[in-house]
Amino acid sequence: MSRFFATGSDSESEESSSADEITPKAPGTTFTKQSLLLSDDEEDTKRVVRSAKDKRFEELTNLIKTIRNAMKIRDMSKCLEEFEQLCRAFLKSKTIVDKEGVPPFYIRILADLEDYLNQLWEDKEGKKKMNKNNAKALSTLRQKIRKYNRDYETEIASYKENPMASADEEEEKDEVESGSSSDSDDEPADAKSFLKKKSATEAPPPNASKFLKGAADEESSSSDGDNEDWDSDTSESDSGSEDETGRSTSMAVNFLKKTSSEGDRHTSEKKKEERKKRHKRKERIEEEAEEEAQEEGEGEWEKVKGGVPLVKEKLKMFAKGTEINTTVVVKKLNEILQARGKKGTDRAAQIELLHALANISNENNLGEGILVKIKFNIIASLYDYNPNLAAFMKADMWKKCLDCIDELLDILFNNDKIFIGENIAEDSENLASDSQEYRVRGCILTLVERMDEEFTKIMQNTDPHSQEYVDNLKDEGRVCGIIDRLMAYLEMETKGSTEEVCRVYLRRIMHTYYKFDYKAHRRALGLQGETKSEQDAEESEGEDSAFIMDRLCKYIYAKDRTDRIRTCAILCHIYHHALHSRWYQARDLMLMSHLQDNIQHADPPVQILYNRTMVQLGICAFRQGMIKDAHNALLDIQSSGRAKELLGQGLLMRNMQERNAEQEKIEKRRQVPFHMHINLELLECVYLVSAMLLEIPYMAAHEFDARRRMISKQFHHQLRVGERQPLLGPPESMREHVVAASKAMKMGDWRTCHSFIINEKMNSKVWDLFPETQCVREMLVRKIQEESLRTYLFTYSSVYDSISMETLKEMFELELPTVHSIISKMIINEELMASLDQPTQTVVMHRTEPTSLQNMALQLAEKLGGLVENNERVFDLKQGVYGGYFNRDQKGGYQQKQGGYNRDQRGSYQQKQGGYNRDGQRGGYQQKQGGYNRDGGGYQRQGGYNRDGGGYQQRQGGYNRDGNRGGGGGYQGQNRGGYQGGGGYQGGGGYQGGGGGGYRGGYKGGYQNQDRRDY
Amino acid sequence: MASRKESMSTPTAPMASTSSGATLDSPVKQIQIEGLVVLKMIKHYQEEGQGTEVVQGVLLGLVVEDRLEITNCFPFPQHTEDDADFDEVQYQMEMMRSLRHVNIDHLHVGWYQSTYYGSFVSRALLDSQFSYQHAIEESVVLIYDPIKTAQGSLSLKAYRLTPKLMEICKEKDFSAEGLKKAMIGFEHMFEEVPIVIKNSHLINVLMWELEEKSTVADKHELLNLSSSNHLEKSLQLLMDRVDDMSQDIVKYNTYSRNLSKQQQQKHQYTQRRQQENAQRQTRGEPPLPEEDISKMFKPPQPPPRMDTLLIAGQINNYCQNVKEFTSQNLGKLFLAEALQGHNS
Repeated sequence: MSRFFATGSDSESEESSSADEITPKAPGTTFTKQSLLLSDDEEDTKRVVRSAKDKRFEELTNLIKTIRNAMKIRDMSKCLEEFEQLCRAFLKSKTIVDKEGVPPFYIRILADLEDYLNQLWEDKEGKKKMNKNNAKALSTLRQKIRKYNRDYETEIASYKENPMASADEEEEKDEVESGSSSDSDDEPADAKSFLKKKSATEAPPPNASKFLKGAADEESSSSDGDNEDWDSDTSESDSGSEDETGRSTSMAVNFLKKTSSEGDRHTSEKKKEERKKRHKRKERIEEEAEEEAQEEGEGEWEKVKGGVPLVKEKLKMFAKGTEINTTVVVKKLNEILQARGKKGTDRAAQIELLHALANISNENNLGEGILVKIKFNIIASLYDYNPNLAAFMKADMWKKCLDCIDELLDILFNNDKIFIGENIAEDSENLASDSQEYRVRGCILTLVERMDEEFTKIMQNTDPHSQEYVDNLKDEGRVCGIIDRLMAYLEMETKGSTEEVCRVYLRRIMHTYYKFDYKAHRRALGLQGETKSEQDAEESEGEDSAFIMDRLCKYIYAKDRTDRIRTCAILCHIYHHALHSRWYQARDLMLMSHLQDNIQHADPPVQILYNRTMVQLGICAFRQGMIKDAHNALLDIQSSGRAKELLGQGLLMRNMQERNAEQEKIEKRRQVPFHMHINLELLECVYLVSAMLLEIPYMAAHEFDARRRMISKQFHHQLRVGERQPLLGPPESMREHVVAASKAMKMGDWRTCHSFIINEKMNSKVWDLFPETQCVREMLVRKIQEESLRTYLFTYSSVYDSISMETLKEMFELELPTVHSIISKMIINEELMASLDQPTQTVVMHRTEPTSLQNMALQLAEKLGGLVENNERVFDLKQGVYGGYFNRDQKGGYQQKQGGYNRDQRGSYQQKQGGYNRDGQRGGYQQKQGGYNRDGGGYQRQGGYNRDGGGYQQRQGGYNRDGNRGGGGGYQGQNRGGYQGGGGYQGGGGYQGGGGGGYRGGYKGGYQNQDRRDY
Repeated sequence: MASRKESMSTPTAPMASTSSGATLDSPVKQIQIEGLVVLKMIKHYQEEGQGTEVVQGVLLGLVVEDRLEITNCFPFPQHTEDDADFDEVQYQMEMMRSLRHVNIDHLHVGWYQSTYYGSFVSRALLDSQFSYQHAIEESVVLIYDPIKTAQGSLSLKAYRLTPKLMEICKEKDFSAEGLKKAMIGFEHMFEEVPIVIKNSHLINVLMWELEEKSTVADKHELLNLSSSNHLEKSLQLLMDRVDDMSQDIVKYNTYSRNLSKQQQQKHQYTQRRQQENAQRQTRGEPPLPEEDISKMFKPPQPPPRMDTLLIAGQINNYCQNVKEFTSQNLGKLFLAEALQGHNS
């Protein structure tokens, strides 16, 4: 493992610069590849090594050719595209141009293009016919070329004076080619003749190449690899990397093979000879020669058809006559591997060589050990093939990789004498002898893990809406199969440590947790498979995924020592539970694991998994009708407004200041593949609907409460957005539906609410995505009815004197017991001031809720109280030390008021007030209080009374004395000692305390009654 | 509609303005408004103002002895964000010039503004009225209350800043001391000037004639018994103001606490220094130089009190409104009760 990754990253760092260069050019390459195949390839086959100038000029001519083609078919957008590329390419070859002067063909295309464009521009009729894109491109291109041509005015002018009138395009091209390329004179002619011949005898090249691919598939895996590789190589060959030559030969090989398979042996042989000659002329490095030999061998093989093709190859790899034994092969293997990671190494060739080596060892029966070793290396090189860790594998490479791993596993299963491990030292390996155990260094688990990662990467990089994605997704079955086999392998005794088993289990879990087990679901519902075959499939399936998850996770819980695997396993387990509506298990597991406390310390992928799990948990709770839990679970994700990002389902648009390209790459790597996505609209809808069910009754209940808190900010935001609409049409989006439903619910109109939440549109958008659609809908309807009833009672209770439960039952289509229980609950919670009249089954309202105006007045009074208090503080400060005294008093007094006020708000306002007043008429102090009460709004009065300050104190004292004299013991007892302390006026503090606490207590208690009796 | 009727039928009656004789030595003791101006203002509001939006305009007229006669007006154009470079002054000048061309009084004598539940006592009003009064001594601001008017009685009030307030505004001294020294409270910020609506005789004649012919249905907004809506709104506004007031007081409180704390520190510092000096003297050493204490202890910035004053004025205004409204309503309720009793 360590070796593999180390080199991998090495090569990455080395190659990254070139790889980065390649990537932005991606759109351009496709076209060049095409052109190569279409027309230039014949020339290509003959070209071997060229100067930089040739290379550049060829690129230019290619581009020019496409431009000309586009001009012919009047494809302006294409023209524009190509022209931009041409400019870029020209800029690139600046150094050469500086040396050589502007090439004439370049000037020619500029001039022609301009003429052509002007001509088109004049042609008003034609322009009208053009489609919009083309017209737009035309005008852009025209402007561009005008600007561009300004730099080359003189050249163009001279060209225009003396155009090569007779030259038609093809010849022009050839001239250019012959002028610029260093090939021998007879070649163009040759090429042409060949071209003709070919077009006469064969299908056009693209078809041929397709055919080639098809043929390649039929071939054995080892040889099909190289074909495909070469194909993929060509796509990169124009990138200007240093192994251009090798590439061009590879092109040759393609054609070689194709022609030979077509039977056009004559040409191919002739060409081969030519090529060989040239090869002799130009000295090539050893590896390429080797490669060449290989190609030749393959070419041979094609001809022989069915014979073993390896004779020649062996010759090349090992000197003739060498006895092939393990040591030699290992030596060779090491030799090949040494080239790995170096800059000039052709990675594709390396893979080829390894394949060849594997075949040789197979050929010579060198035993499984060496084969396993080579296989390991093949797979490693396959992974190596991509220089950049961020890039994903090509589909064909990927398939080959899967095959290899499968084969490797085959070998390992068939031969239990092989012992592999990453900690076996290189020199203690035992590859040869049959008698002992084979010992091979390498870790199959790492390879499989890497394979899995590659799979994720491929899925991340494929457009999720294309057929390609579906095709790729089909491989998931194979991946799972491999993981299963590996699991079986590692579960065998002595094959894998617990740690490894945990790792492979986690892989398995990762491939299981997000899939809904329809079979188990159907089984649980007691349904049989509809057809016989389906039933069979069901039986053969065996375990439910739930059991598998349970088994694997429990093993991990017990055995794992790295925290991360366990965390992931728990999260996946919860997710799986939640997905299958096992709410209580999921919730308990979540709560018991205490993951919520420390998840913020985990690495981002785990956090994403956690977020996914929480969301799934929330949705599960919703399905079970636990609205509050659902809301709480979803709150964190939804309130941030970044659900997409938090779930790893896409990047948010952000400007570059917040995130540079590097970070973006990292974030992209974290994305969850599309097939694992959680539907965001569903998520939001679930959240909003739960918020609605919670918030609307709450809003109705606390309509006049100044300190009302919102439960869900997001929901309020949506409501506000809805309110801001100048014109309210019928709802379109999911959000609008929810907002409209909320409005209906506010009025207690559950039918409208219901029709907004559950209808065709919402069904198709949201509700049908649940596995138990019908249950969820029924639950929702019920919840809507209940919450609407509550809202209705909150909103309109002030209108009713009494209301029969029968009516409510009919209004909300609920059963009587439910209505009864809801109302009872509201009464118990003091949300509704009413009582139930049993015999008549009616709710009798108490009408104690203040009206909105009263509420407002109460709020105002409260606020004024605060104001007065604050004002007093200012006064206190003026008074200095003495002021502190008042301050405390003031506070006590104010609290007192508060208490009374609060109580008033609840129950019998008038009654208490009245009683209190009557009491007030008595003692001096009460008189004061009474005065306050009689004054009605009298907080101002209260303020004045406080400002009296000292005077008030005195009066207090006086009152106390009065009270003592007149009131008698009972009264004092009732008011607790504090008052008496107050009698000692000098000990003001004591009195104050009494005023604040003790007095209030007495006042609250049976103070009035007591008093009345006493007096 | 009713408002117009009122202005028509009682052309010479002074409005219910309870202005006291607070017009000490101000140059304007009475305001006489053309019916045209009133109608123009009402029309302006109905066309452009809705809800809390406020419309404003310029008053034109002339001063005759101690009487300000307002004979015409024109609205300020509604502001939008787009034309930020719109020059208002330019517009006004242009307007006045044009009016002069058609022989209309073109002397600038103030401005008018609509109000929402009487919430007009604000810094903006103070500032602009100050600048008006500073430039043209006789300027007034007319406050038109469309909501009260809709309830059945035209509400139009003219205000001027008191000379005391003018002094303060001129000095820009809004500290607590400054206000105290000027002996100004929220009651003495604005003075109300009595208004008389007057039409020319020809118009009066026309009115009488029209009233005969017109078939305007009588509207009884005046007798509307529902009160809670209006009261609620007023209370809501009142509450907001009270909140502001509270905040202001808290701010002032912190300020004064900080101040006293600093005073103490200062005191301590000087005492320590004195002690030290005394010790030094006994030892025969030269005393430490007296440092500039004010440099060491920078006094905290006193919060401006003007806003508080304005809020208080606004609260007062609301309270007046509520009081007036409730007393009227109470009367109406008694009326209704009596009617009920009579009917049944």
